[in-house]
Amino acid sequence: MPVFRWGQSWDPLLDLEREVDRLLQGMNLTLQGRSSRRFPLINLLDGEDCFLLTAEIPGVTLEDLELTAANGVLTLKGVRKAPPEAQTESFRRQERFQGDWSRSVHLPDRIDEDGMKAEYSAGVLRVILPKVAGSVARSIPVTEGSD
Amino acid sequence: MSDSNQNMRPAAPEIQTTSESVAGSEPRMLFNPPIDIYETNDGLVLYADLPGVTTEGLELQVQDNRLALFGRVRNDQDGRAMLHEEYKVGDFLRSFILSDEVDHEHISARLNNGVLRVELPRTQRTEPRKIQVSTE
Repeated sequence: MPVFRWGQSWDPLLDLEREVDRLLQGMNLTLQGRSSRRFPLINLLDGEDCFLLTAEIPGVTLEDLELTAANGVLTLKGVRKAPPEAQTESFRRQERFQGDWSRSVHLPDRIDEDGMKAEYSAGVLRVILPKVAGSVARSIPVTEGSD
Repeated sequence: MSDSNQNMRPAAPEIQTTSESVAGSEPRMLFNPPIDIYETNDGLVLYADLPGVTTEGLELQVQDNRLALFGRVRNDQDGRAMLHEEYKVGDFLRSFILSDEVDHEHISARLNNGVLRVELPRTQRTEPRKIQVSTE
């Protein structure tokens, strides 16, 4: 969603507008930005035969990561531990999320829960959610009433 | 918390529009990664969240008194329709001003599961040395 609009843009301004918008989105000025305390951030994409969920969860060990799907809701749960040997009073800066977290996502369509696959690398979780084989539209015959 | 008296502080944000965008390709987003900095007995420890960055895509540089980190993220979300978007895929850039108390020669770093840990040891304080004064 654009965060910057010039109003009635004419063509030469459109590039500038786009550029400024991109800059603003890159800075953490908007609610959409990475400053939001929501953790982890999730994207959901629609592939041909599956949905792809990606989540930015840097620094989680697999034992602390839980993934469940039921009734069209996918739930991610986990813990992000504080850095070792760090005491609260020794922090100069503390911007990274820590503690328990949990996110639930409503899946937009029926998925094959047995066919779900997930992988975690470089702090990004990718979950492949296969769609249930396309249900064929069933045509309902309409008969003319007798009266 | 004042920045003036710290051994290390984030440098003023740099306005940089793109990270060497290849001609014709989409301009890339650039983000300021969240960080933690804390003190230990040996010096300072810096953590930065860099999801999607691998060691090949990470550049960490110390020049003069500036520590700069740049993490490149490969966008593998192309070609699919976005249904729900909370984050954009982009590269990470942040730089810090180091004080003289940090031993620039012995900075070490590790990248694990998208989290960078940088150790910034304190320079050994030199003992005051007595200078003998003699008369001729």
